[in-house]
Amino acid sequence: MGYVAVKGGTMAIEESIRRLKYERVKKGMVLEVDSIESGMRGLIDQVMSESSLYSEILAAISIKQAEGNPEEAVFLMRAYRSTLPRKHYSRTIHSDDMQVERRISASFKDIPGGQILGATTDFIHRLIDFDLMNETEEEVMGWLADFENQDTSAEDMDKTDLQRLPKVLDYLRKEGLLADCENDDREPDDVTRKSLKFPASRSERLQVLTRGQTGTVTSFAYASLRGYGQLHPTVGELRVGDLPVYVDNPVGSLDPDDAYFIGNVKVTEVEMLIPVTVKKEHGKKEIELEIGYGICYGQNETKAIAMGILDNTLGSTNPEFPTENQEFVLYHIDSVEATGFVSHLKMPHYVTFQSKLDSARKTKKADKSGAEEEMSE
Amino acid sequence: MQRRQRTEILINGSREIPARLAQQIIDRYEVNTLEQPNNGLVMMKVRETSQKSLFYLGEVFVTESKVQIGQAMGLGLVKGHESELAYQLAVIDAAYQAGIEETKHWTEVLLAEEEVINHKKKAFQHKVLQTKVNFETMDDGN
Repeated sequence: MGYVAVKGGTMAIEESIRRLKYERVKKGMVLEVDSIESGMRGLIDQVMSESSLYSEILAAISIKQAEGNPEEAVFLMRAYRSTLPRKHYSRTIHSDDMQVERRISASFKDIPGGQILGATTDFIHRLIDFDLMNETEEEVMGWLADFENQDTSAEDMDKTDLQRLPKVLDYLRKEGLLADCENDDREPDDVTRKSLKFPASRSERLQVLTRGQTGTVTSFAYASLRGYGQLHPTVGELRVGDLPVYVDNPVGSLDPDDAYFIGNVKVTEVEMLIPVTVKKEHGKKEIELEIGYGICYGQNETKAIAMGILDNTLGSTNPEFPTENQEFVLYHIDSVEATGFVSHLKMPHYVTFQSKLDSARKTKKADKSGAEEEMSE
Repeated sequence: MQRRQRTEILINGSREIPARLAQQIIDRYEVNTLEQPNNGLVMMKVRETSQKSLFYLGEVFVTESKVQIGQAMGLGLVKGHESELAYQLAVIDAAYQAGIEETKHWTEVLLAEEEVINHKKKAFQHKVLQTKVNFETMDDGN
């Protein structure tokens, strides 16, 4: 059964689109894009991450147009992205270069450089602040001035360089608790250019995970922790901060000093430490540490932790659980693909449904006549 | 001054500086626009720290412009929708490529701005470091 074109809905569709705008503006108030960019950092970070497109302003416009609906905003971003040329590839970015503004470890209390809380909701009471109902710009400006002027004496000044913080993993590698490895310089695969095939390469897995829908990535990781997996991970290190992006001179040398700096991109990076039992010679068992790696645009800590967990589960050579099954996870975590496929079910399926209905009627009829024959016998 | 340092200062510093430096060149030399400022994408290649392999993190929305001064070509490339800045960066890049006399006097201006940027960075770090945890063990040793 193929698709059949129908017509007659043009006027209704036009009016429906007008009605959608009416719903957005019916209270006579205009939501400023700047206000969204300034005050909806969490949603902007989520939309940029799921869109795989870093631009706060584009995310803010999309959020406005989508009336705050993240799945629609991500769809708008992906659609716009598809109209733009990819002009360059960045030089390889190393997270050691991050200008850190938050950095914690759940594995070690005393880490070189210290536990730096930065901005986090981890320690708030989750009580609605009703004062925000009447917050004014004047109050905010006063608070900002106080915050910026509040200072400690030069004697108390901490000299830690937040752009040169040592990595917890390096510390473990030096101790011999983690096997060190050489750089793997193979060019990555790109899921936006070539469709996924299984088993997926590591670069494909990481790319799909980082652009995955936040809720789905989190839920799959949660499932693997709760019982559909055998992981007991700990956050080795979580960092939030800016990564500088450079592009090589397109017509010149590959000398890093000759590269173009194009700006900073804020990311969350997580290294999960996962103890695994490894069988050695003569049946001896040893505990070894594996690392799950997570990174995503913006301050998206739960997603980055979840990505780190799924990075590890998807490396399984003998999948026992759905969360270890690459096809199950990677084919179902993309926002546009998942929401697009599910929501397409509300599009007209008149012909296919009629076909199903005909079959149902025929079956009922056959059952009924069969039963009548039995009765008459 | 090499391009990496120069572009870091021009993008991270005050917008007044690229505008002023580019204007000096536009006023005195013939600048041909090869590519009007336009939007595009830069794909980010990242080295992950677990197996030290490479993967693509995602794309960054950028503005790009290209100009020519004499035989020298200049490229302006910056994150975001920044048409004016992309053009100014292209003009400054072309001026350096062409070895124009004015560029020799810019080093001082750029280094002074770098000082300002570094000062702001230190102030930022200082504020962030006030959230560093100072652990005290709740064990009195008894």
